[in-house]
Amino acid sequence: MSKSTATRSKDTAPRIDPITLEVIRCGVVSITNQIDANITRTAFSSYVYEYKDFAVGLVDVNGQLVAQSTGGMPPFVADAVGTAVRDGLKIYGRERLFDGDVVVCNHPAVQGQHLNNTVMHTPIYGGPERATLLGFFALNVHWIDIGGVMHGSTDIFMEGLQLRTIKLWSKGEPVEEVYRIIENNTRMPVDVMGDISAQLAGCFLGRDLTLALADKYGADTYFAAVETIMAQGEASSRARIRDIPDGAYESEAFLDDDSLGAEPVPIRVKVVVDGEEMTIDFSGLADQVPGPLNSGYFGGGVTAARVAFKYLIAPREPANEGVFRPLKLILPEGKILSARPDAPMSNYSTPFPTVIDSVINCLSDALPHLATGAHFGTHSGFMMHGRRADGSRFHGHDSGHGGWGAGDGHDGAGPFRTMAHGDTRLIPMELQESLLPFRVCSLSLREDSGGPGKFRGGLGFRKEYEILHPCTLNTNLDRRKCPPWGVRGGKAAKTGCVTIIKATGEIETMGKAQNYKLQPGDRVILETGGGGGWGPPEEREVELIQRDLDRGYITPEGAVRDYEVRVEEGRVWRG
Amino acid sequence: MPHVVAVDIGGTFTDLVAFDHETGAVTYTKSPTTYDNFVEGILDCFTKGNLAPGEARFLNHGTTLVINSLIQRRGAKCALVTSAGFRDVLEIARANRPDPFDLHYQRDEPLIPRERRFEVPERIDANGEVLVPLDTGALETVAEDLKRLEIEAVAVFFMNSYLDPAHEEQAVAILKRLVPGVYVTHSAELTREWYEYERTSTVAANAYVGPQVNAYVRRLENDFRSKGYDGSLFMMGSNGGLLSVDRTCRQPIGLVESGPIGGCIGAGAYAEALGIRNVVAFDMGGTTAKCALVENGRFTVESVYYVNGYVQGFPIKWPVIDVVEVGSGGGSIAWLDGQKRLHVGPQSAGSTPGPVCYERGGAEPTVTDANLVLGRLNPHRFLGGELTLGLESARHAIAAKTATPLGYRGEEGLIRTADGIVSIATVLMAGAVRQVSVEHGLDPRDFALFAYGGGGPLHASALARELSIPMVVIPPEPGNFSAIGMLLADARIDTSETFTGILDDALAAGMDAGFRKMEAGAADALARDFGSGDVYFERKAEMRYHGQRHNIHVPITGLHTVIEIREAFERDYKRRYGHADSKAATELQALHLSAFARLRRPDIANLRRRASSGTASDAQIRQVYFGGAGGLLETAIYDRDALEPGFAAEGPAIIEEYGSTTLIWPSDRFEIGRMGEIRIGCG
Repeated sequence: MSKSTATRSKDTAPRIDPITLEVIRCGVVSITNQIDANITRTAFSSYVYEYKDFAVGLVDVNGQLVAQSTGGMPPFVADAVGTAVRDGLKIYGRERLFDGDVVVCNHPAVQGQHLNNTVMHTPIYGGPERATLLGFFALNVHWIDIGGVMHGSTDIFMEGLQLRTIKLWSKGEPVEEVYRIIENNTRMPVDVMGDISAQLAGCFLGRDLTLALADKYGADTYFAAVETIMAQGEASSRARIRDIPDGAYESEAFLDDDSLGAEPVPIRVKVVVDGEEMTIDFSGLADQVPGPLNSGYFGGGVTAARVAFKYLIAPREPANEGVFRPLKLILPEGKILSARPDAPMSNYSTPFPTVIDSVINCLSDALPHLATGAHFGTHSGFMMHGRRADGSRFHGHDSGHGGWGAGDGHDGAGPFRTMAHGDTRLIPMELQESLLPFRVCSLSLREDSGGPGKFRGGLGFRKEYEILHPCTLNTNLDRRKCPPWGVRGGKAAKTGCVTIIKATGEIETMGKAQNYKLQPGDRVILETGGGGGWGPPEEREVELIQRDLDRGYITPEGAVRDYEVRVEEGRVWRG
Repeated sequence: MPHVVAVDIGGTFTDLVAFDHETGAVTYTKSPTTYDNFVEGILDCFTKGNLAPGEARFLNHGTTLVINSLIQRRGAKCALVTSAGFRDVLEIARANRPDPFDLHYQRDEPLIPRERRFEVPERIDANGEVLVPLDTGALETVAEDLKRLEIEAVAVFFMNSYLDPAHEEQAVAILKRLVPGVYVTHSAELTREWYEYERTSTVAANAYVGPQVNAYVRRLENDFRSKGYDGSLFMMGSNGGLLSVDRTCRQPIGLVESGPIGGCIGAGAYAEALGIRNVVAFDMGGTTAKCALVENGRFTVESVYYVNGYVQGFPIKWPVIDVVEVGSGGGSIAWLDGQKRLHVGPQSAGSTPGPVCYERGGAEPTVTDANLVLGRLNPHRFLGGELTLGLESARHAIAAKTATPLGYRGEEGLIRTADGIVSIATVLMAGAVRQVSVEHGLDPRDFALFAYGGGGPLHASALARELSIPMVVIPPEPGNFSAIGMLLADARIDTSETFTGILDDALAAGMDAGFRKMEAGAADALARDFGSGDVYFERKAEMRYHGQRHNIHVPITGLHTVIEIREAFERDYKRRYGHADSKAATELQALHLSAFARLRRPDIANLRRRASSGTASDAQIRQVYFGGAGGLLETAIYDRDALEPGFAAEGPAIIEEYGSTTLIWPSDRFEIGRMGEIRIGCG
C-alpha cells in the first residue's frame, strides 16, 4: 500500500558519474574491511579478537560516517567513531588537527559508553602537498583494562582513566607522556599497549589507503562520491520507511533490576512512522539508575535506536550517516540511555538487547513479515574466578547464548548471543577444561525453551559444570521476570536460570549470582532463555511438531501443553 | 609409451593433460563433465586424445565431488556417536552470528540431525586421563539403532580425544564389527587438534562423503584396470599434494577443495622455473575469481576451511590452500539496485544459460557481454570458434538493463557502461588480491600476477594496474591450467598435533622430539602409499604472543634453538602485522608437519603447445576500447600459437588462443618467454 504523503526525498542526482561512484564505494568499504581483518589478527586481547569488540570507520571532514567495516559489534555501527571525531573538531578545529596527528577519546560526555571503548582517529590529508582535509580514519577498540574498580561502580570516576580528545601522536611523532599515562593506568599494560599499537597501525594503514583512493580520482570527485553515497543511503532508508503504514506504535518491557536494587527498570518505547521518516521516542525509558547500566545520549540512546533501525530498515545497506538521516530520536536528558556524564556506565550495554527488541516489537503488526518474536535478550555473563591448585589466579568468562525469535516462515534460530552482539563465538569446552578448574558435564539444547507458535522460537541451551577447585561465581542473567515475548499470537519463551547443586545436596536457583562461593563437587547448571514464537501455536503444522518431538526440541508434555495436540506412542495427533 | 596423465573434473568440462616422458609430447583434451558417471567423461577425454588408459603410468585426478556433495547435501545417511552429554555440539556449533543485522539469519542445518546423534558413556579428561571407561554395552545398543535406521556412515567423536584417541579407536573397532559394511570414521584420525566443534564437524563431513567417495574411487580404479591400466592412481588433495587411493578412502575430506588447487601448484612450479620469487595466482572462471599467494614457490595453506563460506557454513579442520574467492567471473551479472547503484555479481549466469551473447536464453548482461561490446573478445573465435558470440544481443542487454536506466545515451554511453562493468569487476577482484596480500602485510608491488582460467588473461593487465603490480605472466594453456598443475604436484601428507607451552629450551627440545615422531609416522605412510620415494619434510610451529588468540604458522624447518625459532616467529609476525614485541613471551599452540615425496614429473619447459603454421606477422587489426587509456584504438590481434619465444611487441594488443584471450593495454609491453609464457610489463 503506497502512501499519499508527498515524497520528501532530496534530489539524489549525483554530481559524479555512476561508474566512478561505484568504484569509489567498493573501494572505501574494502578499505574498512581490510583494516577490520588486520585488527582481528593483530590485537593482543581476546576481547578484541573473540568478541570483535571494535569498529573501523571512515568519516568525512565534519565527522559524519562514510563507511564502516561490516563485521564488528552492532552498537558501534551507529556512530561511535563519528562522535569522537566531532569532539576532536570541536576542541581543536580543523586548523589544529595536523597531518600525522592521532587523537584518542573515551569520554563519557562524548561517546557515553564504558571507558574501555576508546576511539582513535587521524586526519586524512590529500591533494597537492597534502593540503586538503579529506576526512578521518577512526578505530574504536575496547581496551581490556583502563583501571577503576572491577565491579560495583557507583559513578564514572570509579571506572578508570578518562581521556577526552588527547593527542597520542602529534605531527607524525608519538607523544610519549600520553603513552606513559596510559601504560601506568592499566592493570594489563602488555595487552593494552599491544592493542594500541594494532589500533594505531590500523589508523595509519586505513588513512594511507583512503588517501591513495582519493588522490587517484581527485579530491572533488572523492567528495562528490562521499556525498552521493550518503544521499543514496538516505534514499534507500526513506523508500523502506515509506512502505510502513503511518502510525504511532508502542511497546513495553522491563529489566529485572539495575544490579544494585530490586526494582524493575521499565523500558517503554514508542515508534512513530510518518511518511518517509521514523521517530523513536525513548521518553518512557527509566530514569538513569544507581547501578552501572547507564549510557550517554550518543553511546546509549542514539546507538540503541540506530541498531534497531538498522535491523528493521537497512540490514543490507552499508552503514553510513545518510542511512540514519530519516531516523529522529526523542530522548530527554537523565534517562538510562541519556545519563549525565558522571553516571556509572561500566555495564552500559546491558539494556540494549531489551531496548532493541522493544523497538522491533513496536512494529510487529505494522511489519508482520519482518518482525520476529523477542530473543532471550540478556547478556547472561557467567564469570568464575579464584586460584588454581598451584596458587595461580584464574578468571574465566563464559556466557549464555540463547534462542532468537521466530519469524514469518521460519522457526527461531540460535542459540546465539544478543542483538547487541556481533560475530561472537562460544569458547571451546576442550579449551576451558584445560585452562579452568571445572569440568563440563554436558552441553545440550534446552528442550521446550522456545516460545510456542506457528513458528517456534529458537532454543536456549543447558550447560552443566562440575567444580574442581574452590572458586567464586558471578552471573548476570536478566529478563527472568519479563520473558521473551511472542508476536502475532506466538507465545513467550522460557527464561534463563542458574541452578547450583551443592555437593551437600542443597539446591539453589538464581539469575544473578553475586560472589557466590563454590566448592569442589558442586555442580552449576546454566540454562538460557529461548526466543518468542510467531503466530498462534494451534496453526503449527503437525509435521513440524512431530519433527520437534522426534528431535527432542520439545517434550511430549510440552507438545500437549503448548500445541493442543495428543501424543500417543511418540506420534502427534491433532483434533 | 609411459604417459603421466592429469584429469580435472570441473563443473562444466573435464580437462585432460597427458605428457609423454619419452617424446616430450603433450596432449590436451576437453570433454563435457558427465554427472551420472564421471568416468565416462574421463574415458571420452582419453579417446579424443587418441590415448589408451593402458599407456598411462600415473593418473593424477582432481574432482569437485566432495564439495558438491557437501553443498548440495547429497551425501550418505549418517549418524554421530559421541560422548554422553555432547550430542548437540554439532548443532550449537560456535553459536555465532556472522551476519550482524539479519533478524532472520539461519546457519546451514547440521549434516547429521539430532535424532541420529547418539551418546555413549565415556570420558577422557583435560589431562588425557580416562575418567569414565567406554561403555561397550551402550555401544551395542547404538549399533542396533544404526541397523534399524539403515545408517550408511558413522562419525565417532569423543571429548578430549585430541589427547588420547583410544576410546574413539575402540569404538570404531567395535562398530565395524557390529555393523559391517557401514563406513566408520573418527575425529582423531583426521586431526589431533583441540576444539570439539571443529573436530565433530570435520568427522561428520568425512562420514557424510565417505561412502560416495569410496564408491567413486573404487569404480574409477576398476574401470581403468579393466581397460588395461596398471599404473598408480592418485587424487589431488586440498593441501596441494597427491593422495593415494587408500588414504582418499579413509580421509575423503582431504579432497574438499580438490578443484582449484591444480592452478596454484602450477603457478608455484612455473614461478620457480622462471625465477620469479613471489606471484599472485589469479584464476578467473565463469562464476568466480580466485586468488592465492605463492612465495618462493610455496603457497599458503590454511588449517580451517568453511564449507559454503564462513557466514552460513561449517568448518573443516583440514589443510587447504588459502584461496580467496570473489563473486566476479565472466558470467557475473551486472544489475542495478533500488537506488540505481550498479553492482556486478555475485549472481552469475554460469554456463547455463550463460552470458547474453551465448544466446542460450540469458537475459541479464554479464562481464563477458561487456568485454564483447568493448571489442576485447572475438565473437568468432570463442572456444576456438565452437561458440559464436552474439554481439548485438550483448549490446542490447547492456543498453536496456544498465546504460539507459543509469542515464547513459548512445554509443558512447553504451561503451562507457560496458567499461564500467568491467572496471567494477576489476575493483572487486583487486579487493580479493588485497585480502591475500596487504592484509598479511605483503605489498602486491613485490609480486607478479600469474593469470589463468578462461577470464584471467583478459583482466590481468587491468587488475595489475589497479594494484600497481609491475608484471603479469600468462602461462601456456591458461584454460587448461588446473590440470597442468596436477601433473606437477608432489605427494603430500599433512599432520598436526596440539602442543602447548611457553617457548623455552625444554619446550624446544620436546617440540623437536614431537616432530621426529611425526616425521617417522609420515615417512612410513608415504612409503606405504607411494613406494620408497624421495621424501622431504617441512615443519611449522603454530605460535603466538602469550595471551593472544590469533596464531601464525611459522616455518621452522632446520631451526632448533629457542633463539632461532623466536627470530623466525618475530620476522613473520612483523612482516604480517607491521609490529612485533621483542619483550613479550611467545607460546606454542600446535605442530604442523608436511611430508612430501617427489614424484617423477614432466619438465615444464615442454608443456607449451607446438607453434602452428602461422607467424606473428599474420596479426589482424581490430578496434578495441581501452577506458581511460585512449578509448577506441586500433589493436593488433595475434594468434598465440603463432608467437615464438622471444617475440616482443608493444600494446595495445590482443592474443587469442583456444579457451582464453589475453588483453595488453596501450602502455604495456609484452614478450613471449622461453617456456612459452606471455610476460607483460605493465605501463
